[in-house]
Amino acid sequence: MTPPRADAPDVAVELRGITKRFPGTVANDAVDLTVRRGEIHALMGENGAGKSTLMSILYGMTRADAGSVLVDGREADFASPGDAMAAGLGMVHQSFKLFDSLSVAENVVLAAEPRRFGLVDRAAARRRVRELAEEHGLAVDPDARVGELPVGLRQRVEILKLLHRGARTLILDEPTAVLTPAEADALFAVLKSLAAQGRTVILVTHKLREVLEGSDRVTVLRDGRVVARLVTAETSADEIAAAMTGRAVELDRIHAPGTPGDVVLAVSGLTTDGVSEASLTVRAGEIVGIAGVAGNGQSELIEALAGLRPTTAGRVTLLQQDISHASATERRLKGLAYVPEDRHAVGTAPAASVAENLAMGHHRTTLSSRGLLPPAGVRAHARQLIERFGIKAPTPEVPASALSGGNLQKLLIGRELAHEVPLLLVEQPTRGVDIGAIQNIHDQLIAYRDAGHAVLLVSAELSEIRGLADRVLVMYEGRITASYDKNQADERTLGLAMAGGASREAVTVEAVD
Amino acid sequence: MNNRILGALRSPITFSVLAGVLIGALFLVGTGADPIASYEAVLTGSLGADGIGSTLTTGTSVLGMALALAIPLRAGLINLGGDGQMVLGGITAAVTGLYSPLPAPLTVVLALLAGMAAGAAYAALAALCENHFGVPLLVSSLLLSYPAVSLASYLARYPLKEPGSSLPQTRSLPDGVALPAFGDSTVTWGLVLVVLAAAAYWFTDQRTAIGYEIRMTGLNSRFAAYAGVERRGLTLKLMSVSGATAGLVGAIGVLSFPYRFVDGSLTAPGYTWTGLTAALLATAAPLGTVVASFFFAVLQVGGLAMERTTEVPRELTQVLQAIVIVFLAARLRFPSRWFNRRKEAV
Repeated sequence: MTPPRADAPDVAVELRGITKRFPGTVANDAVDLTVRRGEIHALMGENGAGKSTLMSILYGMTRADAGSVLVDGREADFASPGDAMAAGLGMVHQSFKLFDSLSVAENVVLAAEPRRFGLVDRAAARRRVRELAEEHGLAVDPDARVGELPVGLRQRVEILKLLHRGARTLILDEPTAVLTPAEADALFAVLKSLAAQGRTVILVTHKLREVLEGSDRVTVLRDGRVVARLVTAETSADEIAAAMTGRAVELDRIHAPGTPGDVVLAVSGLTTDGVSEASLTVRAGEIVGIAGVAGNGQSELIEALAGLRPTTAGRVTLLQQDISHASATERRLKGLAYVPEDRHAVGTAPAASVAENLAMGHHRTTLSSRGLLPPAGVRAHARQLIERFGIKAPTPEVPASALSGGNLQKLLIGRELAHEVPLLLVEQPTRGVDIGAIQNIHDQLIAYRDAGHAVLLVSAELSEIRGLADRVLVMYEGRITASYDKNQADERTLGLAMAGGASREAVTVEAVD
Repeated sequence: MNNRILGALRSPITFSVLAGVLIGALFLVGTGADPIASYEAVLTGSLGADGIGSTLTTGTSVLGMALALAIPLRAGLINLGGDGQMVLGGITAAVTGLYSPLPAPLTVVLALLAGMAAGAAYAALAALCENHFGVPLLVSSLLLSYPAVSLASYLARYPLKEPGSSLPQTRSLPDGVALPAFGDSTVTWGLVLVVLAAAAYWFTDQRTAIGYEIRMTGLNSRFAAYAGVERRGLTLKLMSVSGATAGLVGAIGVLSFPYRFVDGSLTAPGYTWTGLTAALLATAAPLGTVVASFFFAVLQVGGLAMERTTEVPRELTQVLQAIVIVFLAARLRFPSRWFNRRKEAV
């Protein structure tokens, strides 16, 4: 046991010499992290750098092999998140842990309900939520169903939940991944006020901009080790990015525009669950970006185009062939490839090998003849794509689940690009992907465009849309509400349109052939 | 190669089997029996000169049903209607054998094909219930099984009943309408057919595009759907093949000793459930399914031998089977944990 140190009151959380090994890797190698009370401390690093492992050790979800955790100067040995909560920690996970069918108040007080005569005191619960919300500027209607709230508000519910349980240190894992720029700004305002009240915030993220704007200090992890401890006010995006990747990176590059040719994809009046009357065209040699906050119909639109979601109206043509009612397979055969948003649940079979994952879609075309699929061909194909797209996989036989997020995404994008078909649909190509891999993926998409293919890109990342797209459409509440050329699409304009600021009349979608 | 052997030794299956054997030994000691003598009786009874024929006969049915269940299981579909499909195959083969005007050898072939067709059609019905009425396959296949078994029972007791017999069985098939046996054993060409079916399953699984699609559907059905694998069609195909295999097992049962359909004789030994266990144990992998089926056939036949020679009740082998299964079920947690760790760590 370590006695409390003299300077303990200033330090909310201290991790000393945390080491955690997994078979084949050292996820955390003697990591020291000191978070002062009342600060917003950003923990940065690429995927696989060990951020999640470190936070799950702090939060009692995993045990360290060596090292100690000190909370408020006292040594802590959390066996479960429950212990961590009892010690004043609280975590907002990337995927929210909320009950959609319950009200805000019910979610907030869950497992710590105010009681009256042994029963849940609902009035007190509502009152409590209102008080907390007012105190911290987290306005939410306590009676709203969580399932009906937009993501930004759901996040508030998560934060309220922690505050209700008396969390003094809040850990937020990639909190802005699903937010609009405006929602993100609002979140940071809340976090700053919490910090001003003496609460501590640990922000796990890989987004440079928000770290620079919202944090006090930064700890950067790479390959399980701390490589930099920085004071935000004295650092720059380039310095953090270099620490994260171990080399200098060019951030937010705006790629040169393409040279659009003939129309490849033409959509008119497409309507499906979540999408109303979407019309758009994508030309050969052009990337059309669809900007929008997650959940405004982009995924549904892309799924409908890929043939995975039935449509109620509208016409879709691919190279002048009507594919409005074609099956997913027919569409692929006619020249469509698709990188879905969710690479674990949809884009790959994590338990299958890298080679098998790379074979999907090719298994009925180039890799097979007369129904046979020779394993040697599958392996050779895998080795070729691994080489060509720089996928880091020890062998083609390892399960895809062993790859990091960035490498899994490279696998997915490589597999779809390798079809060399006229149209590529790509959703959130770099979500949760390392800076280094982002650049690689962007270069691949640009090269694909420059080879004369049409690309329809959906991304919640404005910098990505601005960097890649030759034209930008904005989706809001299931409609395409705005269309901009590359040079018109600045961050402010897009941000406004994404929040519903573009009027319906402003739409300047081209007429469809 | 060394790694593969090591991997097999370290696999949870080896562990479960060993744990089952050990705990089984404790049970034996508890009942006052000598565990070594009992296990010896199981092994000599099932693999010795007197037992091997019986093990292979039982193994034919167990492997056949294991394949029938493994085929859809590979895509994550569970066919619980094996009994019904098998019995329909059996009764159809019996009717074909009794009434076919063709010469005996052709009648045998026809009876096998008819049995397979009946099983396939019945399993396809379960698939259609899922595809078009949204009845989960698990439910549709299981519930459809009962009327099929009852129908066969009715036929064997009334319209097709052997005149003068007190047993619920059909007449014996005409001379020569039988699967040829090896020597004077009870092992017939049925074993060859089932082994060929296993080989075909292995080949399809490992070497063909459809086998690949089936495996990917089993590992992640949304991934397969994303790539254009049409689930309804796949369900229908897999269930038809599954039912055909179950029907084949039924037909083989009728075309082997006692060369007739006897009510209950196909279902009483529980081949469907043993087969399902074997398929689950092997996670429907073709070679694993063969090995597991053989293992269960050994337990089943050896258990009887043990009962004869050591007075230990054969239920003990069922206890053994149950323990192996419980350990395997517990295994289900380990890989997912490793899986999560790896995802985090790399």
